[in-house]
Amino acid sequence: MIQHPGILALLLASGLVCLLLVAAGWQGFRILRSWNLRSGSESQLDLERRTYLVSTLVSFALVIQILSLFLFIFTADGLHTQFVGAMCAAGSLAANAYGYPTLTAKVATCLVAGLWLVLHRADTQGHDYPLIRPKYALLLLLVPMVLMETWLQGCYLTGLKADVMTSCCGSLFGQGRQGLASDLAGLPPHLMQPVFWITFASLGATGTFALRTKHGTALFAFLSLTFFLVAVASLVSFFCLYIYELPTHHCPFCLLQREHGFVGYPLYATLLGGTIAGLGAGLLAPFRGQKSLGAALPRMQAHLMWCALILATAFTLIVGIWMALSPLRL
Amino acid sequence: MIELVDVVKTFQAGLATPFTAVDGVSLRIPKGQVTVLKGPSGSGKTTLLTLIGCMARPTSGRIHLHGLPPGTLPQLAEGDALEITSLPERFLTQIRRRTFGFIFQQFNLVRGISVLENVLLPTYPTGEDHRVVEARAVERLEGLGLARHLHAPIDRLSGGEAQRVAIARALINDPTVIVADEPTAHLDSRLSEDFMQLMAQFKAAGKTLLITSHDPIVYDSPLADRVVEMRDGHVVAGA
Repeated sequence: MIQHPGILALLLASGLVCLLLVAAGWQGFRILRSWNLRSGSESQLDLERRTYLVSTLVSFALVIQILSLFLFIFTADGLHTQFVGAMCAAGSLAANAYGYPTLTAKVATCLVAGLWLVLHRADTQGHDYPLIRPKYALLLLLVPMVLMETWLQGCYLTGLKADVMTSCCGSLFGQGRQGLASDLAGLPPHLMQPVFWITFASLGATGTFALRTKHGTALFAFLSLTFFLVAVASLVSFFCLYIYELPTHHCPFCLLQREHGFVGYPLYATLLGGTIAGLGAGLLAPFRGQKSLGAALPRMQAHLMWCALILATAFTLIVGIWMALSPLRL
Repeated sequence: MIELVDVVKTFQAGLATPFTAVDGVSLRIPKGQVTVLKGPSGSGKTTLLTLIGCMARPTSGRIHLHGLPPGTLPQLAEGDALEITSLPERFLTQIRRRTFGFIFQQFNLVRGISVLENVLLPTYPTGEDHRVVEARAVERLEGLGLARHLHAPIDRLSGGEAQRVAIARALINDPTVIVADEPTAHLDSRLSEDFMQLMAQFKAAGKTLLITSHDPIVYDSPLADRVVEMRDGHVVAGA
């Protein structure tokens, strides 16, 4: 294991988040099993008192969990000098078999953690815990995900050895190799460009329609997820080429480096934030009939959709400006 | 109406020395009436008052508020009942702030600030316009004969005056229920009679009054519609 502040911080944060979530998961299990607001029993009142504390602790833990994704890629990027052949985080993640599975797991838990925070926020708008069961059911889904991610991350970080020979990003994201990275890099820009712009336009149109009519939030959520996937594919396929001003360099991790103005961080933050907000708006749609949430839920859905639209637009503006200013023309 | 269903409050629950201050109390407190909780020290009156007034949560049991004024909580329609023991803290705070006015045994006035500032304290979290609430505070204080003490420090007031300031503070957010804990404990007989006359005015104005006392001037007063006697955490008469 390499002694690095980022690695120690990630291991410590994951350990703490796991401890909190396992304890909260037990509380969630008790709530799903025996929550009954009509009962005035001692155990019910005890659950009501505890859920307030547990929800608050889980909220903080999940914010740490979301931030740890960025610390993870920042650390992976900083470690690339330790490995032979690595030029950025792409090479660090390929330094052992757990790197890319950890990144995938962290992105997945980040999205689900964001959705839990949306659900929790909505639940606190009602006086009678209107979403307590779905909230804790989602938490019980999240707990094994976080445990799995912590295990993968532990294997990856503790298994890192300096001077291991690894692949550079040019090789990993080069065309003509086997694997998802190469497949994404091989997507033809002339095909991906219209797909990206059409998806962005569809997201904007659906969002505007949903904000005006209060219908179509589920479709908006679906399009938010689609936009996330298309945007990632577009980054690798053609956005990167404009940013690096090289027609053959598709690496989505070099964006995180100083030479490129750390543009990867705002890009990934806006993309993830917008996706969570968009999915969150759709997640709340089935609960609009809850009496105690009244007007609070439609208002919150509108805020989430605005947030998703603004963040998707910010992402598109960043890459759009970069494309316009780049001397490269495909 | 306030309805209590099998309310229990145990302190130090789960520890070596648990103490049950309120034990299985079921009670209905009608709207617009004066209810007096009577009993010796340690009978559970004050604990019960703090549970009803949302200042503490019971160990078990439920407390329902019926006929809440519109706007108490945004999601509640007029006439809806609300169960308060399960409420998350931020909603409980709203209920405590809008529905209940408290008059404490020790008055609990804040030293170092004026009479008017003391009365204004409960209005600050509501976000109401300061000029409006200040005008209301002055009106309340004038109505209680404290016009000349508006800017006087609390320390210079007599016991009776301090209590009237506490009453003005309890009324400043126009609560529907006034909760008074041993309000005459530090007053002589004349001031206690004056206090009961003030309570009569509030009852006439439609307020619900809930008073704990072991003072006969209070519980033997013709103003009291109902006297509930407590002993060892149980209601022994008047339920």
